[in-house]
Amino acid sequence: MAPVKNPKTSSKPSETAVIAVTDGPAIPLKKDTGLFTAWRIAFFGAIAVVLYLVFFRSDPYGKILAFLPDGIVVTFKVTVLSIILALVIGLFTGLGRLSKNRLINGTASLYVEVIRGIPLLVQLFYIYFALGRFVNVPAMWSAVIAMAVCYGAYMGEIFRAGIEAIPKGQMEAARSLGMTHAQSMRQVILPQAFKTILPPVGNEFVALLKDSSLVSILAVSDLLRRGREFASETFTYFETYTMVALIYLIITLFFSKLISVMEDRISAGK
Amino acid sequence: MPENKRRVIVEMRHVFKYFGTLKALDNVSLDLYEGEKLVIIGPSGSGKSTLIRSVNQLEKIDSGSIVVDGYDINDRRTNINKVREEVGMVFQSFNVFPHKTVLENVNLAQLVVRRRSREEATEISKQLLLKVGILEKADQYPHKLSGGQQQRVAIARALAMRPKIMLFDEPTSALDPEMIGEVLEVMKNLAREGMTMIVVTHEMGFAREVADRVIFMDYGAIIEEGTPEHFFTSPSHERTRTFMKQIL
Repeated sequence: MAPVKNPKTSSKPSETAVIAVTDGPAIPLKKDTGLFTAWRIAFFGAIAVVLYLVFFRSDPYGKILAFLPDGIVVTFKVTVLSIILALVIGLFTGLGRLSKNRLINGTASLYVEVIRGIPLLVQLFYIYFALGRFVNVPAMWSAVIAMAVCYGAYMGEIFRAGIEAIPKGQMEAARSLGMTHAQSMRQVILPQAFKTILPPVGNEFVALLKDSSLVSILAVSDLLRRGREFASETFTYFETYTMVALIYLIITLFFSKLISVMEDRISAGK
Repeated sequence: MPENKRRVIVEMRHVFKYFGTLKALDNVSLDLYEGEKLVIIGPSGSGKSTLIRSVNQLEKIDSGSIVVDGYDINDRRTNINKVREEVGMVFQSFNVFPHKTVLENVNLAQLVVRRRSREEATEISKQLLLKVGILEKADQYPHKLSGGQQQRVAIARALAMRPKIMLFDEPTSALDPEMIGEVLEVMKNLAREGMTMIVVTHEMGFAREVADRVIFMDYGAIIEEGTPEHFFTSPSHERTRTFMKQIL
């Protein structure tokens, strides 16, 4: 991105305004060496609050925390399974969107447009109850399928952009050696595209982890639903949802950091 | 030896190619003989690259015919990948595979297309890397290499297929001046070994030393052809004379 300088308004060297609105928390930049970045305050603050509550207000917070781990496991299960399935769907959607075959291209584009136009919560309801009418799919799996179908569309756009970012000459060089289109994709284009795709896929992972709380309406005992179950029996709504929110926050911040570290590793290895 | 006794390996007849309304190739007919070294010159946008890229169908032509090593490449029944196995290509922008080491770059198509064993492929790759003078970089990734070195890897990669024809599309145009020589040297060696070559270039010294025949193109058409000497001493067309003055 080339900085655009406006000599009339900027007396000091102007920095390009990059408006980066993402779904995830803000990760401190490498050069930001200060101890009190927003990320650090949020992450360690959340851990401190959890520890404080559990040790000094163990009734009800200790009980709540003991009740939630099963839900955390389910949340992870839904997230990981969904993201894997979404990656597969996304790969084929991305390839489809780039296909010169009009039927394939049209199908992939239609899928993306339709999915992006329907709220995830509505899709979850729809797939859960629509599927339920024909086949008996366990709630867990309809949740995973619904999440994957939804995120697959976004993932498809990520794959498409990642593939398009590879210079045209790479495909030409591969084809000129006698490799088929599929071989060239597999051997030359996709391995390079994965590198550029990884950061946005990481962001999708975090976003999906948060959105997975929506599956709690489908009789899937994820973190949020476990909280709801506990709260409705003990009438400790405030305390329980405080705990649930803090746990989501810690998990999300942790993964965001992990992903940004991975990004650095990859760009350093270039 | 009279040329008509030698085998024609590329035969182009009345080839037309349009980019939108722009005529990129305008009724081009051309015979390339086995072992011949053909140099194509001409101003930018004259259709040189389009011509060379149509030989292995990186550009599809709109009408006319191109027969390469007996294959009519515009015939739907022709497997273009088979033709491309026999036609090596070197690009202006190298196009080495950045995610693979030098050795893997040269190995890849041998394994995937020629289905050679890894040992055999590596053996061949190492010979070729030695030949282009870059064997010591075999385990490096391309980004550690200079432009000239990358281009020599690209040449080795194409040669690994044991092609019958080599196409060079402005192979030195993206290089710093001090690296042009090393790439041209590799190409000259290849010419001496008898490789059939089509070279799009502005390097007139190379043309003079290597080319059997030179073609001058402008506005998508072949304006003039002849020996390198002909172009240096007595080009017949006004446009050719103007162009030669500009590049010499």
